[in-house]
Amino acid sequence: MALLLPALLYAAAAIFLIGMGWRIWRWLRTPSPLVIVLTPGPKTSSGVARRLVEEMFGFRSLFKADHLFWVFAWLFHLSLLLLLGGHLGGLVFPKFSQTALGLTEIQFEWLAQVAGSAVGVLAMATLLALLVRRCAAERPRRISTISDFFALALLLLIIASGNQMRFMGGLDLMQSRRFVSGWLAFSPAAPPSDPVFTVHVLLICALLVYIPFSKLVHIGGATLLSPTLNQRNNPRDRRHVNPWDALPAHSPRQSP
Amino acid sequence: MKAPPINPGATAGARTHRAKADLLKPLGLPGEMPADWQARALHKFGELLGRRRSLALSLDICARCGACADKCHYFLGTGDPNNMPVARAELMRKVYRRYFTTAGKLAGRLAAAEDLTEDVLNQWYTYFYQCSQCRRCAVFCPFGIDTAEITMAAREIMASIGVAPKYVTEVVKKAHDIGNNLGIPEAAWLDSCQFLEEELKEETGADIKIPVNQKGADVLLVPPSADLFANTDTMMGYAKLFHAAGISWTTSTYASEAGNFGLFLNYDQLKKVNLRLVDAARELQVKRLVIGECGHAWRAAQAFMDTLNGPLDFLESPRPEHICELAARLIREGRIKLDKTKNDGLSVTYHDPCNLARAGGLTEEPREILRAVLNDFREMPADTIREKTFCCGAGGGLLTEELMDVRMKGAKPRVEAYRTTGANCLATPCAICKAQFPAVFQHYGLDGQIVGVMDLLGKAIII
Repeated sequence: MALLLPALLYAAAAIFLIGMGWRIWRWLRTPSPLVIVLTPGPKTSSGVARRLVEEMFGFRSLFKADHLFWVFAWLFHLSLLLLLGGHLGGLVFPKFSQTALGLTEIQFEWLAQVAGSAVGVLAMATLLALLVRRCAAERPRRISTISDFFALALLLLIIASGNQMRFMGGLDLMQSRRFVSGWLAFSPAAPPSDPVFTVHVLLICALLVYIPFSKLVHIGGATLLSPTLNQRNNPRDRRHVNPWDALPAHSPRQSP
Repeated sequence: MKAPPINPGATAGARTHRAKADLLKPLGLPGEMPADWQARALHKFGELLGRRRSLALSLDICARCGACADKCHYFLGTGDPNNMPVARAELMRKVYRRYFTTAGKLAGRLAAAEDLTEDVLNQWYTYFYQCSQCRRCAVFCPFGIDTAEITMAAREIMASIGVAPKYVTEVVKKAHDIGNNLGIPEAAWLDSCQFLEEELKEETGADIKIPVNQKGADVLLVPPSADLFANTDTMMGYAKLFHAAGISWTTSTYASEAGNFGLFLNYDQLKKVNLRLVDAARELQVKRLVIGECGHAWRAAQAFMDTLNGPLDFLESPRPEHICELAARLIREGRIKLDKTKNDGLSVTYHDPCNLARAGGLTEEPREILRAVLNDFREMPADTIREKTFCCGAGGGLLTEELMDVRMKGAKPRVEAYRTTGANCLATPCAICKAQFPAVFQHYGLDGQIVGVMDLLGKAIII
C-alpha cells in the first residue's frame, strides 16, 4: 500500500504530461492561415506580449464581460496558483523557501499555517460561488454540461480534503514532506497515516488524468495560443503566408 | 441592453432557402447532398481542424463560463438559447467531441457528444446562418474564442456536402459571372456613372467625373456595387473627394464589387472573389487600391487580400486603403476644404460596422471625418460602439428576406442604443448596414436618415 499511492501518482503525472504535451503540440502545429486578430490590436510584438499578459494574469476580456463574475473567477484562479505555490514552497522546498524568505523556522511554519489557511478558504469560497452561479444563473445553467459540474466537484473535493487536513485533521506535516520529496526524487516514502491524505492524493491523480481530456486543458496555453489575441495587427505591413495555400490556386489574369 | 429570458426554439424555424444544383455546381460544390454526406462532412471537419488553429483551439478550450452568453445581438433580440455564442459553438462542439475526442468516443452523451445526424445538420444550417460573424462575443471571451471562426468552419463543412443558402451562393455566382453582387452588367454600370456625373454637374456646376476602366489612374476605387444604385450619395461623395483633392482615380467593371460573400461560404470562394480586385488593379495599372464603404470588404481587403492573392508588390503602394482613411488623411493635410454648416440640421450618430471595428481596426477615422464635416455629432453608449459595437442584424450573409424576423430582432440592441442619442441621422460606412437599417427603422418606428460617411463629406466639401 505504501508504494501503491506513489505509483498511482507517477502514472497520473505521466498521463498528464504526455496528454498535455500531445494537445499543445497539436495546437502548435495547426497553422493560422489568415490574420484574424481582434482589433484594435497591437501592431508590435511587445504590444502583443502586453495584451497576452493582461489577458492571462488579469482576465481582461472577462473583466469587460462581467465585473462580478470576474472577481470570483480571477480570485479562484489566483487561489489555485497560490495553492500550487504554497505546496511547492511548504512541502517540496521548505528549507529553501524559509531561507529565501529570511525567516526562522517558527516564523516560516506560522506563515505557512496562516497563508495556507487563508488561501484554502479563499479557494473554497470562490469555487462555491462559481458553482452557485452555474446552478442558479439562468444562462450559465443552460449551457452547462455534466463535465462542467464534474470539474467543479473534483476541484471542490480536492480543496475540501486539503482544508480538512489543515483545520481538523491531525496531519503529520513532516511525513507529508518526506512523501512529496521522496516521490519527486523517485525514491517513494510512505504516505502519512491520515486517510484524508490518501483521498486528497487520489483525487489529485484523478484531476491530473482528467485535465488533458477536458476543458481544463485550457491551462495549457489557451490564451497564449489564440490567434485572435496573439497575432499582430499588421497584415498590411508584413506578408502573412498561409502555409497550406502558399501558391496561388489561380494564375493571375493576363493583361490583354 | 438587458438580456431577455431564455426562450427555447424561438427562432428554430428561421432558415434560409437552400441553394440548388444550378447555384452549387458552378461554385464547385455538390449539386445535392451525397448519400455519404456524413462521412464527407466529417472528412471536411477533420481537414479544417488540421488547417485552422482558431477552430481546433476553440473547440477544445471553451470553459462554458458564459461570459459571451448575453453579448450576441441575436440572443439579445430573440432569447433563443442557441443564439448564445457558447451554445451556438456547442452545436459544433458536440459533434467534434463525438468523432474527434477520446472522451466523446468513449463516453458519448455523458461527455456531451452527439452523432452528426440530419437533425443536427438542420440545427447547424439554422443557427450558423443566424450568426453574422460579427465577433462581438470574441471581445468578451477570456480565451479569445471567435464564434465567427466556428461559424465559418461549419458553413464550409456544410457547403462541402451541398448545403448552402440560395442567397449567399447566388451573390457569389453573380460576383463571378458579372463582377458584382447586384448583378449590374457593364452597360448599366456605365450608364449609371454617366447619370451620376450629370447629377454632380447639376448640383455643383463642376465637371466631376466617375471614371470607369481608366488605365493608369492613381487609384482603383472598389465600392460595394450598392453605392452605384441604392447609395448614390455615397458614390457621389467619393467622386467629390477625389475631384476636390485632385487625385486621379477609376472604377472597374471587372471588379465592381468590394463585398466578398465568399467570406460567408468558404475559403475557396473568398479567395476567388478577392482575386478579381487584384487582377483589376494589375490590369488597370493603378498605383493603389482604395476600398469603399463596406464592412466585410474591408476585412477581406486589409487582413486577407495579401495572403489570399498577394503579394501586391506590383502596386506602388501595396497597402489597400479604406476610403475613410484616405478622406481623414486628406482632411488632416488640408487638401480639401469643408463647410460644416452644409450639414446643419442633422444630428448625427455613428454606427461602427462590425468588420471595420473588430476586424479592420477602423474606428477613429470615420469619427474624425464626421466631426470635420458637421456640427452636431453624438455617440451612442460606450458599450455599444467601437470594439463593442452591435451588428446591424444582417451581416454575415443574412441580408435576405427569409430571415427578416431574425434580422429585425437582431437589430434591437442597436436600436435601443440609437434611441438614447436623440439623433436624427445614422451614419455608417457599410452597404449591408445601409440596406438593413431602413427596414429596421420602419419596423421600430424610428425617424431618421441612414447615410454613409461619404454622403455627409460630399455635402460639406467645397468644390
